[in-house]
Amino acid sequence: MTPIEIGRLLRAGTTGFVAGCRVAQLTAPAFGALVRAPLEDGYQIYGLIYDIHIEDDGLVRQLVTAEGISDEVMRDNRERRIVPVEMSVLVVGYEQGGQIFHLLPPRPPLSLDIIYSCSESELRRFVKAGRFGYLRHLLSAQGLPVSEVLSAHIQQVRDMTQDQAWVEAAIHEIISLLRDDYPTLMSVLGALSDVSV
Amino acid sequence: MLVHLFYAAMTINFQQIYAQVKDIGQSAKERRIQKEQAQTTARRLLEQYACELDSLRAKVEAAKAADPNLRCACPLDETLASSYPPPASVSPAVLLAADGSQINPDRHAAVQFCLINVGAIVLRGGSGAAPEIHTHSQLLYGEELETQTGTMTERLVALRRDLKERSLLEELSRDEKGAVITFTDGPLELWGGRDGEDARAYQDALQSYLSVLSRMQAQGVVTAGYVDKPSANLVARLLEIASASVGEESILSNLRDYHPLRGVSDRWLYGEKAAPLLPPGHRSAVFGLQSRAEKEYQGRLALCFFYLNVGAEGHPWPVRVEIPRWVADDAQILGLLHAALVEQCRLMGSRPYPYLLHRAHEVAVVGLEEKYQVEQMLIQELRRQEQEVDDGSYKQSAKNLPGRTRR
Repeated sequence: MTPIEIGRLLRAGTTGFVAGCRVAQLTAPAFGALVRAPLEDGYQIYGLIYDIHIEDDGLVRQLVTAEGISDEVMRDNRERRIVPVEMSVLVVGYEQGGQIFHLLPPRPPLSLDIIYSCSESELRRFVKAGRFGYLRHLLSAQGLPVSEVLSAHIQQVRDMTQDQAWVEAAIHEIISLLRDDYPTLMSVLGALSDVSV
Repeated sequence: MLVHLFYAAMTINFQQIYAQVKDIGQSAKERRIQKEQAQTTARRLLEQYACELDSLRAKVEAAKAADPNLRCACPLDETLASSYPPPASVSPAVLLAADGSQINPDRHAAVQFCLINVGAIVLRGGSGAAPEIHTHSQLLYGEELETQTGTMTERLVALRRDLKERSLLEELSRDEKGAVITFTDGPLELWGGRDGEDARAYQDALQSYLSVLSRMQAQGVVTAGYVDKPSANLVARLLEIASASVGEESILSNLRDYHPLRGVSDRWLYGEKAAPLLPPGHRSAVFGLQSRAEKEYQGRLALCFFYLNVGAEGHPWPVRVEIPRWVADDAQILGLLHAALVEQCRLMGSRPYPYLLHRAHEVAVVGLEEKYQVEQMLIQELRRQEQEVDDGSYKQSAKNLPGRTRR
């Protein structure tokens, strides 16, 4: 199966990175989805998309005040102008030597590295490695819509793998991890109930 | 100490500037009164001569005989104060816009080169397709920088850029079907280098330019030059000539110094805020452009222009649109161009300017960073070929120093 390329790396750190893509590629990435950045010799970094945003510029700001923008002008701005869609990704683990670690990676990806969305088998392999260690990164991240990312991620795993046992085990783990943080726990459980997991 | 450092870093004597600014302020009221008087006279002259087209043309002819460099409007067959709305409906047309940018030769740089970059965009109206973008980049190096009279000047680079803009539009429009409208930013007339040491190169470029315009005319490809915030007061100058008694020898001999309407601009005439002559979207009468270039742009390529209010109610914004005579003479084509420009400007909201021209500028513009990259590419290649590469000038090196000496 051909891997689905969703963009290329713009900037990165150990805990997260930002990827850019063209509007034409925007159908592939989804909020909460697991993505990977393969580097060299089987080393690759995994992350969860926690924000997708589109930057404006002076021309776009002027165009939004105009009435009746033609299809040609719309496509010009979406396909021809250099205004990439940006995806912020939280790093949740990496793979090296054929083994998956739910730890921060030794090195971040580099500029223009290709970012792929994870297939069903890659997703299954990552989430079932270890004992939900990657959730720790998400729950401790600051300034992220944690509840929403978590529920979107669990929904993705359920839809792609149909593994209800994993979903229940994940929710138990989240309750356990958040047992001392009642407000966050309620927020997470509220979001999860909205996606009927 | 901080205060001393601040003053030491300043390059302008603000004490002197402050005094001069105060003087300007104090004389502003007097200037305004003079300007208002001239504006009242201009309005009166416009009404008086609005329909006197034959008489005005005769006065322009007489004035031209006295001053061959005379530059003004010359009425064709529409009355001076007339205005025309865009056509109610027009078929979609193919629109092409081009703009250019350049890296000028810099004798202080380590390697001598220049670059002409022209961007064009093709939008097929009604197709629903994304526009096509084209870029043409030409690097000039070595013998290409030598001219018959010396080395490449900034004016010659600009001349080549302008020629390339129009010729790229002509190339791209060849295979297009249906109505095709092309435009560039600035006058339709080729500028720069007419006199002095660049005169021969100018004549060569002009002949190529006229060939391009002729081919476009033969193909029925509309071409226009869009001048935003025009500063030339061509209609105001026509009114000055109208007010002169051209039979009077003293005025004819001093026509260059005869400016009774000084301070009156064409922008004010057509776009006075309180009572603009042109409602939003309307164009003015089409005028012939009387200038010494009329000997070069002859017949169907003679230069004409009209003003177009691309602004909104309460915010008039007259721009000048230059066209060849064959476009001016065809009401249907003129209407198509008029409608296309109004629509293009409308897209840009409260600061109207043709969308495609802005896009062509975005495609063409060359930044300092790109200049540096091209320079580095050249230096590396020359060194790879074991060629000697000069240093940049020490003057430039000193200017590049950070801190207080940087300007």
